[in-house]
Amino acid sequence: VSVMAEQSRRCSYFFLYDASKVTGESDPTRDGICYFYPEETPIDKQELLCGQLAGVGRCVSELSSSPVRFLRLHRNKYAIRMKDDFFWALGCSAEVPTISVCELLDQLINIFCFYNGSVRQSYQMNTRETLAARWARYLSNLQSASSELHHIFSSLKTIDSTNVDPLLLLKAALILQACQRCPLVLAGCVLFRGRVLSTQMSPQLTMKVMVHESETYTKSQRPNGPSSSSSLSAVSSTTVFLTLSELQYLQSPPVDKLSRSHSTPQKDAPPKKTRLSRTLSDMASTESDSSDPGPSQRISFSPWLSDSDNSSFSLAPPQIIADPQSPPPQSPVPPLSNGKNSREAEEALKDSFYQSFHSNGDGDGFIHNNGDSSVFEGNSHFSGGEGDGGTACGNVFDLQGAESHDDEAMVGDGGVGCGRAQGRHKAQQRDLAPCSGAFEYPGESPLVPMTLYLHRVKGLVLALLVEPHFLSDTASMEEVYHSSLASLNGLEAHLRTISSGAPGTPGPYIFAHFDCIQSTLTTNLSGGPGGALEHPFVRATSLLHLHFCNTETLQEAIIRSAGAAVYGTRSVAQETYFQQQGGSLRNSGIPNHQDSAFLLPSKARHRLLKHGVNLL
Amino acid sequence: MKCLLIASESAEVLFYWTDPEFQQNIQNQYGASQEEGHGLPAFEDSISTLFAPIIISCSTMVDRLGDSYTSFTTENNHVYVLHQFDECLYIAVNGDGEEGEDDLRRKIYVMKKMIEVLFGMVTLSSNLIRRELRPQDTEQRARLWKHLQSLLETYSHLRENDQSFLVEAVERLIHPMLCEQCIEFLEKRLVQQLNSSTERAGEEVLHAFILVHTKLLAFFSSRNASTLATSDLLALIIMTQNMYPSNTDVDDPGPEDVESMSGSGPESFYTPEPSPTDRDSGSSDKPEGVTTPVFEFMDPDIQMAEDSLQTLEGPPPDPSMPRRVFLEISSKEGLYPMMPHSMYCLPLWPGIKLVLLTKIPTNNVASSVYKYLEAFAKLEKRLSEGQEGYAATRGQLTIHDLRSKLDKFIKALGPSDLQSAQLQNAWTEFKNRAFGRGGPGFTKDLIPWCKNMKTQLCSIYRQCFLVDSGPGSVPQRLSPGLQERALTMVQEKLVDWKDFLLVKSKRNITMVSYLEDFPGLIHFICVDRSTGQMIAPSLNITEHASSELGKGPVAHFIKSKVWSFVSRSRDFLRKGYSTITLRDGDFYFCYFLWFENETGYKLEAGDIPILPDDSAPIGMLAWDYYSRKLLRYYSKNHQGEVVKCYELLTVHLGVIPTEIILQHCRQLASKLWEPSRNPLL
Repeated sequence: VSVMAEQSRRCSYFFLYDASKVTGESDPTRDGICYFYPEETPIDKQELLCGQLAGVGRCVSELSSSPVRFLRLHRNKYAIRMKDDFFWALGCSAEVPTISVCELLDQLINIFCFYNGSVRQSYQMNTRETLAARWARYLSNLQSASSELHHIFSSLKTIDSTNVDPLLLLKAALILQACQRCPLVLAGCVLFRGRVLSTQMSPQLTMKVMVHESETYTKSQRPNGPSSSSSLSAVSSTTVFLTLSELQYLQSPPVDKLSRSHSTPQKDAPPKKTRLSRTLSDMASTESDSSDPGPSQRISFSPWLSDSDNSSFSLAPPQIIADPQSPPPQSPVPPLSNGKNSREAEEALKDSFYQSFHSNGDGDGFIHNNGDSSVFEGNSHFSGGEGDGGTACGNVFDLQGAESHDDEAMVGDGGVGCGRAQGRHKAQQRDLAPCSGAFEYPGESPLVPMTLYLHRVKGLVLALLVEPHFLSDTASMEEVYHSSLASLNGLEAHLRTISSGAPGTPGPYIFAHFDCIQSTLTTNLSGGPGGALEHPFVRATSLLHLHFCNTETLQEAIIRSAGAAVYGTRSVAQETYFQQQGGSLRNSGIPNHQDSAFLLPSKARHRLLKHGVNLL
Repeated sequence: MKCLLIASESAEVLFYWTDPEFQQNIQNQYGASQEEGHGLPAFEDSISTLFAPIIISCSTMVDRLGDSYTSFTTENNHVYVLHQFDECLYIAVNGDGEEGEDDLRRKIYVMKKMIEVLFGMVTLSSNLIRRELRPQDTEQRARLWKHLQSLLETYSHLRENDQSFLVEAVERLIHPMLCEQCIEFLEKRLVQQLNSSTERAGEEVLHAFILVHTKLLAFFSSRNASTLATSDLLALIIMTQNMYPSNTDVDDPGPEDVESMSGSGPESFYTPEPSPTDRDSGSSDKPEGVTTPVFEFMDPDIQMAEDSLQTLEGPPPDPSMPRRVFLEISSKEGLYPMMPHSMYCLPLWPGIKLVLLTKIPTNNVASSVYKYLEAFAKLEKRLSEGQEGYAATRGQLTIHDLRSKLDKFIKALGPSDLQSAQLQNAWTEFKNRAFGRGGPGFTKDLIPWCKNMKTQLCSIYRQCFLVDSGPGSVPQRLSPGLQERALTMVQEKLVDWKDFLLVKSKRNITMVSYLEDFPGLIHFICVDRSTGQMIAPSLNITEHASSELGKGPVAHFIKSKVWSFVSRSRDFLRKGYSTITLRDGDFYFCYFLWFENETGYKLEAGDIPILPDDSAPIGMLAWDYYSRKLLRYYSKNHQGEVVKCYELLTVHLGVIPTEIILQHCRQLASKLWEPSRNPLL
């Protein structure tokens, strides 16, 4: 609780209300309240909020035949989830961008399901108090992201790669590779002091895994806790629940497995992030940066044409593969396939999943080993578009095209930036995909139990998602343990010596660079409190981010208030924001080509090169 | 799937409008929940039942949390926007993705504005406006709601299709010579003649203007009239469009006409060289406005025959009867909102209208009522804040002033009719309690009596300005003969121009004239917010009328881009950003807002207020953001100086280098409002 008090509360209310407990006239509303944050809220206020919001939510969803996603009051805004009889609401102050509130609630529910399985079953098997403590933990964990910018983008906390020798990142990636030689290991990540060093999983999954890690890390950091080295170097495990789509990405077909093990070991490590982004942005800018009227430039008026131009960005992966300079960046990339596609894949997968169950008469809900995944082969072309990128991407392309027409109508509405209005690639990647497991299934969601294996060496943690019977397979366990132990110790020793380093002074400019695919943020903002100078930048960034999310075709923007001019640009893989500090912005606001605000794009291009951000 | 609902706090429906899809949806749902064998209940009942939980929850939240809902969004992207004005809750719904939260909020505010124009200060008493919006007599109710529904539809149509309603500023026809002639004509001939006539029944023409569709050809205000607020003018244009809708698709001229009309040089845009007399005499037999409702002032009988077919409509309004409208007046003594006027809308030809606004003889009653209402409202506020005694009575009017003036006012009304007798009683009661020995004096206990006084004042106002004097009495108006003469005069003046004007209203400015000077420019809108006027090339998107943008889907696409960019620029403006450039698809959009003083000197950009997402919509129609918020805020640092506010919005091809785009913007900004180029702007 003290941790909560320190940080500014991003979330002002959160509750889970179970309407099935309040059916009769005489049932008091409090019976339905499963969890309410802040817990010290007087019970009658809890009842008022739960009763009114759940009631009005039900009424609206009946009128519209669809659950309420978002609800706004004058002073607060609430992301809403309605599922069966459960009603979740997460309230933030009106300044927080709508899209971030929705993402926060989805993350929270997804984390709960990841560690506890289905919500209904959890409440059947555990007391409210037990689960309340868990909701509180997850909530506090989510709120503790390092800066406001991290909140806006819901980005992963990563190690500051500028301070870290790239060889160490490579080493971390190699450790993960080595572990995967054991067929029971699905994927993993290496974390250091609560930050990602290297991961093989999607950002959503990594984020979920990190919750557990940071909890144990915080515990071990407590001065009164047992701080003997033995307790810090330990192996532990916990049961977790994956959605079918997550599982599908992890258990890719044998063909991919093969190519995976042949690939260079650098995959997914943060250094490659810049590599990937650069490649993508290179490509994007040749397509999109049309300020240079070259003779070959095609002027396309047609909405369809320009749409297809944009959706051709989603063909990025094959093009990157073709780049001889960079290693084939396969499979980071479940998120690269768009949401629609993955949803379809899920449908198909679900079918075959059930089929396999029925044909095997094997009802224990486990998918035993990778051999079984031949069941999925029929769907392999859905699985994120590597290898057979041609057909897969063709598919993506079509869906995207068709969808963007529908979306077109909503572009201008300036409406709530939430829900499917922004069924854009980003929302689909980062929003719908993870929540699909919890929400898109009728009835209880078929979550598949797996095991999260943690091997901690002081501040360093190797986290692996493994098949449940890994724990009983002593040979495998020992193999994984011993193959990684020495490397982990070595890595930890190196990392420990690196001072976390006071963040440098921001200098004459501020920037933020968000990698949408890996959900990572690079910025020269300290993130500390009291950045009055930084506030205009954060505000502009949050507003522009919302517009970028809502309009797929939007590529670049300069916005200026009396105090600050901010430049934002995005491609399919990244968003970059830039503000020049100092210097007077005195101007009349009348159009003037000598206005310094319009020099921001070229300044950003030059300045950000040294941060590894290539906007050319 | 669209709907707009006004409900009282007790969930009584005061007005609703739905499109057919929404109505179907409601009926399906209600039908499903009803038992077999019962017929469908009246639609009004179903909508009330289905929305009741939301409405009741709203008041619960206000009572217990002091906060209320402003919007809901569902997963299938239905948007609900809620706003409470006093005791009336407005709910607007969209389920087809065509309108966002801001559009719905704007619709709510526009609906409220239209109700204010139609009912004036009666809207200040929730009790009275409730009864006014929901007459007991079902036929009367149906008629009223139908009228309001069609106003709302007219507005929505204009907002979706007319650039001047997109940016909420008045568009003038750009033809300086003709405009000047017409203004002179209105001043020297028409208004003078009307105001000196004996048949004007005490009314005085304050404003006269000629509209071609929604565009203003000429506007004249008499010397002793206050300026007509842009907000009111826009509302009046909606009303005239509703009375005589223009069917824009039909009377669109063919491309040949366009070419000959719009000319080609850049000058021709400012002063197209017309010789309409010759051309029009040749083509005057061209069928025009075939489907526009044929209304001839001369033959009210035909109109009546048509109308009587629709049983619901009831007796058609006498076309020579003016509409009562309530408009803002700013005089030396201050601002008076919602003062009664009569509006005469005289159709010259289909699509062309003469509008007269007159001051009615009993006008001063309204301003007195307003002053007293204001005094009681202030008193009530002070008392409820806990002030007591004479501290509570400070104000523009001292309490003794108020007492003697109100005594006189009531006396002048005469005790003859019921309404003023009730006011008299309420006033006596109030005086007893406020000044009497046994009464509570000026304490919180007096609040109910303040409220009562306000209600009674509103009833008097209603009685004077809203209720028809009974049958048999001579209606107050300019005599039909006088109206007819006015109509004929203007018709004679414009008969040679009428076809030209109809074309011109479609091609006021064309992009062609700009292509040479501004290569790559696709569209622009320029708005002078101080005068509430805008200028923009026409965007014609009908099938057979090709414009420079081509026809069909391309023009549609560009139109939708312009519409969405306007709403996007408002999003940014609301958050304090006054310069915006965006690269979106193949286009580059710019938006600039700046201030100048009277001499055209560009003032330094200052802070712009940051508004919450659920603030009143940015615009001029329902709520004048620019004068009430922006200029007031900005003028703090420029006291005593006249500050003017301009906006420029451009759309360029994305391939044009930014530097050139910005040069274009600069040239446009300085050129468009140059007095020498365009004397009327």
